[in-house]
Amino acid sequence: MTRSNIALLVLIAAVAALPLFGGAYALRLGTIACLYAVLALSWNVVGGLAGYPSFATAAFFGYGAYAAGVLLGHGWPLWAAIAFATLSAFVAAAALGAVLLRLRGHYFAIASLSLAEVLRELVNNATDLTGGGMGLNIPLASGAGIMAEATFFFFAMWGVLLATALMAIIVGGSKLGFALACIRQNETASSMVGLNTTLYKAAAFGLSACFVSAAGGIYAAWVHYIDPSDVFDVLYSVKPIVMALMGGLGSPLGVACGAFLYLGLEEVVWRNYIQIHTGVLGLLIVLLLLFLPHGLSSLRPDRLWRRAKHV
Amino acid sequence: MNQSWVARRVRRSFPLSAAVLALGAQLSAASAEDVIRFGAPLPITGALAPEAVKQQQGYDLWAEQANKAGGVSVGGKKYKVQIVYTDYQSNTPRAVQATEQMISQDNVNFMFGAFGSGAAKAASTVSEKYKVPTLAATASSSQVYDQGYKYLFGTFTPNDTLTTPLTKIIKTKVPDVKKVAILARNDLFPLAIAQEMEKSAKAEGYEVVYSEKYSIGTLDHSAALSQIKSLAPQWIFVTGYTNDLLLVRKQMVDQQMKAPVVTMIAGPAYQEFIDALGPAAENVSSAAWWHPAEQYDGKDIFGTTANFVKLFKAKYNSEPDYGQASAALCGALFQIAIEKAGSLDRDKVRDELAKLDVVTFFGPVKFGANGQINSLDPPVFQIQGGKPVVLFPQAIKQGDLKIGVN
Amino acid sequence: MQAAQILINALVLGCLYACIAIGFSLVWGVLNVINLIHGSFIVLGAYLAFGLYNALHIPPWYAVIVAAPLFFVLGYLLQRLVLNRVITAPVLVTLTLTFGLDLILNNAMIYFFKADYRKLTLTPSLGSVSIFDVVVPVDRLIATAAALALTGLLYLLLRRSRIGRAIVAVRLDRDAAVLMGVNVPSIYAIAFGLGAALAGCAGVLMALIFPISPLTSSAYLGKAFVVCVLGGLGSVSGALAGGLLLALVEGVGSTFLGPSHATTLSFVLLIIFLVLRPQGLVGRKGFE
Repeated sequence: MTRSNIALLVLIAAVAALPLFGGAYALRLGTIACLYAVLALSWNVVGGLAGYPSFATAAFFGYGAYAAGVLLGHGWPLWAAIAFATLSAFVAAAALGAVLLRLRGHYFAIASLSLAEVLRELVNNATDLTGGGMGLNIPLASGAGIMAEATFFFFAMWGVLLATALMAIIVGGSKLGFALACIRQNETASSMVGLNTTLYKAAAFGLSACFVSAAGGIYAAWVHYIDPSDVFDVLYSVKPIVMALMGGLGSPLGVACGAFLYLGLEEVVWRNYIQIHTGVLGLLIVLLLLFLPHGLSSLRPDRLWRRAKHV
Repeated sequence: MNQSWVARRVRRSFPLSAAVLALGAQLSAASAEDVIRFGAPLPITGALAPEAVKQQQGYDLWAEQANKAGGVSVGGKKYKVQIVYTDYQSNTPRAVQATEQMISQDNVNFMFGAFGSGAAKAASTVSEKYKVPTLAATASSSQVYDQGYKYLFGTFTPNDTLTTPLTKIIKTKVPDVKKVAILARNDLFPLAIAQEMEKSAKAEGYEVVYSEKYSIGTLDHSAALSQIKSLAPQWIFVTGYTNDLLLVRKQMVDQQMKAPVVTMIAGPAYQEFIDALGPAAENVSSAAWWHPAEQYDGKDIFGTTANFVKLFKAKYNSEPDYGQASAALCGALFQIAIEKAGSLDRDKVRDELAKLDVVTFFGPVKFGANGQINSLDPPVFQIQGGKPVVLFPQAIKQGDLKIGVN
Repeated sequence: MQAAQILINALVLGCLYACIAIGFSLVWGVLNVINLIHGSFIVLGAYLAFGLYNALHIPPWYAVIVAAPLFFVLGYLLQRLVLNRVITAPVLVTLTLTFGLDLILNNAMIYFFKADYRKLTLTPSLGSVSIFDVVVPVDRLIATAAALALTGLLYLLLRRSRIGRAIVAVRLDRDAAVLMGVNVPSIYAIAFGLGAALAGCAGVLMALIFPISPLTSSAYLGKAFVVCVLGGLGSVSGALAGGLLLALVEGVGSTFLGPSHATTLSFVLLIIFLVLRPQGLVGRKGFE
């Protein structure tokens, strides 16, 4: 267990103390922070470790939201709906992964992006099951008070975050992580030395999908009403990438910190630059990519003066 | 990449961002002396931005009028009105977040609903939890009010109040109509109202030969329209937002589609629609929740409908449509309820809203048990000679239905 | 005849789709950059046409002549000053960078032009022509003809001019082109500028037919994506083939399955092509 992984676990434990300090709104922000961290950490498995630029995060998020939402509407208890969403996402993503991850570079990026589009349109058209464009109502989990409900969902999301972080740490230190690193560096050579690239890539894609789906399911139960354009929004695919780039690809701690920092920035920008906040976000992305290619670690003095080189 | 260096650097920035957040929260909280604060989450940026402008116009007009008269009278003391706006980026989850932020951080007294049925419904969960009376200016789908909430009220009548009178008029005036084609945008309100239309049409014995939906952001409707043309319906019913309807109407003209009756909801109520289409808008029928030609003598701050139209024109140099009117109405209703309750206590105001039975410039206002207004007869109108002409209800009828759309 | 109408609609629409996609395809094929700003360039071109028509009564087919050099310069500068810094970076970086740039441009357009939908209505209106029961609107015909002319011009440019040959050389094999003495950074900038100019001109033509708003940029971009994958990158014939195929699939799908499924169908087709035939109908295998 490296120092940075221990630091990650400590950070997550610290976040759990939020209810002691904040009211309902702070818990809302905390839940979103945990959500962002889950998305970023999950993406990192396929994007940072394996080196495949996946834009499929939104597809799995939306899938989880709708799968859990529909089941909750049919009376399933929350934990069962989330468990179903998680497991089915893992299986489906692993199967899809075996097929899609044969593509490389741009083609993979587009295929993963289209996944979200296809799922969204499928959901849009299955009006009887999902409400289609009219959205899906999810019954209130309980009639509990504001703080109780906010705390409950905060800890539910936090739980998913803990699971994702543990997954990221375990993968990082395991044979799978090593295999993914090999694939990232030179896939052809890896397969030539006998690495079963398809298996490992499928597993990585599956892992990157399951916790995102769980988070999507909790999100749906939390907001009580979802519609296709909200949960399949392409920004859910792009933001985790920006967060990971901010924190530095590859390291789970960096990625998680990138997620928290991104949320902080997003909140500040949203409150103060109402008319132009998307533009400011865009500017942020541009500056980040042009001048801080290694995330925040580019701010080390000895790196600042060197011309940006990419991994 | 030196990971511990990254860890240290980023961990140091975390308290900074937390501090920034806290500072931001401080900046937006203001003192609340002798001021009633209303929260208005609007989609100022994103796909629904044009609608947000209209809503804001309505709210601002009311606030201005109320403050001109000295403020809202609360138990004898006059309180100024302040409206707090936030942008939720046309994104429903953000609307929910904005609502919670305004209630818990910005300390607003009352809330206006988010725009449209979807966002209003999602955000209403938050305002219900906090027990903040919320008036939704633009939520017409009855699905918005089906959660049994007590603190949510809406000033648009349910969708079927638009389709039923329309169907009845067509049935009596245009007996040749046998086949109906319905094309709906796959979005909460347009789809809901198309479903109501299908029900109304079937109830009147029409044959619905085509009933499909198009995705949001569809650029080209020629395939769907060709198919409708080949089925030769006598009544074509299209739902969507202004831009969709502009496109559909233009492509209908391109394909030389003619029908005795063409109805579109919800574009024709807007002047931009009529201006952009020119002669192609002729004889297109529609229904809306309010029309400037109405003649109500209201007990609210605006008084008569004509007075409201006059004030609106003076401030914004354009004729008000139902969106702006509804927003202003919500403000006026809050004012009446607060003055009746004699206090800013949220439960008391909520009870006054539930009991309301008053005539306003918008029409008679009374809320049903689920919070949605049920006292209005929405006008059915048709564009004749480049102007909307009201066909129903009888009290404000300006003209008769003209048959035949080219 | 309904079948004939669907076919003609698809042919006309297909050429328009090809026009939207050709600039995108060029940039992707030559620079290996997926230019997510493409959609916003198209919308900007449409606004230019709108402004020129309302202020100076210059109809769109002449506005193209104004748009082309303006957008070329814009694209050239953008590539030279911004994109060139990350041109050797992995896909992820360039894709996210253009995403960020697109957010800026889109927000700027919403801020300055407002999100309301504008419509360029020609006075007098052009109407439609009717040949054997098949109706085609004249403005679409003109846009199609102009689109074909543009693609034809590009084709000639790529085949006959020196710069064009250099661009094709860079697309085929960057390193060999360097060895042949081609100034690759300059070619990159020129190609990007060309892509932007084509986008701007496409926007001018689209203004004739579709409503104008910054909110439509993602719809244009989506179409461009699908056309490129279906048809193959970097070639004029690829864009045409892809555009026609997409329009046909959408038209037929919409007729038999309903318009709501047309979009799903196009993306499913995209995924199928990516998996089975990533080089597209016309493209050559080996382009990553």
